[in-house]
Amino acid sequence: MNKQNQLTDIHRTKKPYIIYKSKNGFDLYTNFSKKIILNQKNIYEFLNKKRKKSFKKTDLFIGFFGYELLNNLIGIQLPKQKKINFPKGIFYKPEKKLSFSNILKYREDKGFKLNNQFKININRKSYSKIFNKFKKKIKSGETYQIKICTKYKTKSKLDPLDFFCRLSKTNLAPEAFLIRDVNYSIISCSPENLITKEGSLITSKPIAGTVKKNNKMNKLKALKYFRKNIKETKEHNMIVDMERNDLSRICQVGTVKLSKTKIVEEYKDLFHYVTLIKGKLKNKISNLDIIKAMMPGGSVIGCPKINTLNLLNHQEKENRNIYTGSFGYIKFNGDMRFNIIIRSILNYKDISEISVASGVVVDSNAKNEFNENYLKAKALIDLFK
Amino acid sequence: MIYVIDHNDSFTYNVVHQFSLFDEVVCENYNEIDKLKLEKASVIVFSPGPGNPKNYPITSMIYKKFKGKKKIIGICLGFQQILYCEGAKIVEQKKIYHGFQSSVRVVNKKSLFKKGLNFKVGRYHSLRLKEPFKTKNFEITMRCLNSNTAMSFENKKDKIYGFQFHPESFLTVNGNLLIKKILSA
Repeated sequence: MNKQNQLTDIHRTKKPYIIYKSKNGFDLYTNFSKKIILNQKNIYEFLNKKRKKSFKKTDLFIGFFGYELLNNLIGIQLPKQKKINFPKGIFYKPEKKLSFSNILKYREDKGFKLNNQFKININRKSYSKIFNKFKKKIKSGETYQIKICTKYKTKSKLDPLDFFCRLSKTNLAPEAFLIRDVNYSIISCSPENLITKEGSLITSKPIAGTVKKNNKMNKLKALKYFRKNIKETKEHNMIVDMERNDLSRICQVGTVKLSKTKIVEEYKDLFHYVTLIKGKLKNKISNLDIIKAMMPGGSVIGCPKINTLNLLNHQEKENRNIYTGSFGYIKFNGDMRFNIIIRSILNYKDISEISVASGVVVDSNAKNEFNENYLKAKALIDLFK
Repeated sequence: MIYVIDHNDSFTYNVVHQFSLFDEVVCENYNEIDKLKLEKASVIVFSPGPGNPKNYPITSMIYKKFKGKKKIIGICLGFQQILYCEGAKIVEQKKIYHGFQSSVRVVNKKSLFKKGLNFKVGRYHSLRLKEPFKTKNFEITMRCLNSNTAMSFENKKDKIYGFQFHPESFLTVNGNLLIKKILSA
């Protein structure tokens, strides 16, 4: 049986499965023997449990931590928000792993129509209001940068594998993933790796700065653009110092280093401004310590983390659910890989939501950021056509 | 031992790592001070942080208690906190510097650093010292080359030092040397 048919077959069995971008293609995990729905209590047991050393490639838990759970872990309780009662986090133990190339082939058999009429939860006018409020808070020093989340929603059935294949074709993101379960799916083209931990080595690769690709924009020009653009540079600097800080909480003194500083990475449709930060973990640091130090990832929150989280939690009326949480895996030997969940569709009970955020800094303006939000959502919204 | 008081900042552990190059460091939140350890420390560092010095009365109390008895170093908010305790006004500035690399110059011959030296430094501050400001034994020793904003002070008699910029930022060139010199002063 050829591999692409295999993908279609697994999809058609209605079995839950997960696809995660690997270095040279995609890995698919399925035949789940365990599904752990996380909450504020059992997460400690889940993360602290000692497991046998990993030998098999399926000796891992794969899944996600939602935004609220990550807040709870660092002692922040969310105020009352509108909720859809989606789980705070879910991890799966796979018994089967398959590898695919970068070209995923799948033909959907459509038995339904997509609804592309999206509703936005904050209109331009209220966005401006919120924006100006936080600009004042930046002037008074309460936050240095804050990312306000906007949500687009529609009621529509969808075929998650079809969505994921189409998305990967146009945008092969290094942290892309798909979760297909019975009552929900997540389709993501996240570009951002938050944690890669192998043995005692840990890296984080924050992205701050995006520019669209076109005939006139090549890699060198993109670099020039970022260097000249003071706003992008400042945002990037702030994120780099913040991630250095988070790594320094768990790493040995003198080991936290920038191994690639402000480089441009090229993707199909855009260029990202990226820095790679490395560190060597202290002895006796647990995965729980690492997760508490690094999550939720700073680049999608703002800075400084705690104060900014409190400010935005009191502003946002709807739960972020998976947005700005982290997806990835924990191997039984303790190695981990986690991304930041952005540029994602959560489809739960046939309602799809796409969340986006862009930063309020002193020299940003409400109109541009509102439009940038739409741009970030557009690639995902277009899948519904 | 160096005691770093953390004002809930996302840069505090960069400060901790930088000071750890020179001595043992204990870092605790401003709300959870370990008094015994604080008493034992030879140096107290006030970390950067959000907001205004008036939001941190506990830190102000610690400053007043240990002024002249221990070496005290303030960074960013910590710099403002010390000046605020000395009667200075801390005000909003028109142009805000977050993630900004600026050049500063040593402007005072009483400084530990050579007058006329230029540094490249990283800045993250909304507020600044309102000038003119004068108080006994405190000297403004560095200023921003462009805006002339006060960027460091030194009080040699009581061994109190402050930086408005961030010596621990990757944007600051030779930040470790700055700290080494202050610690050995």
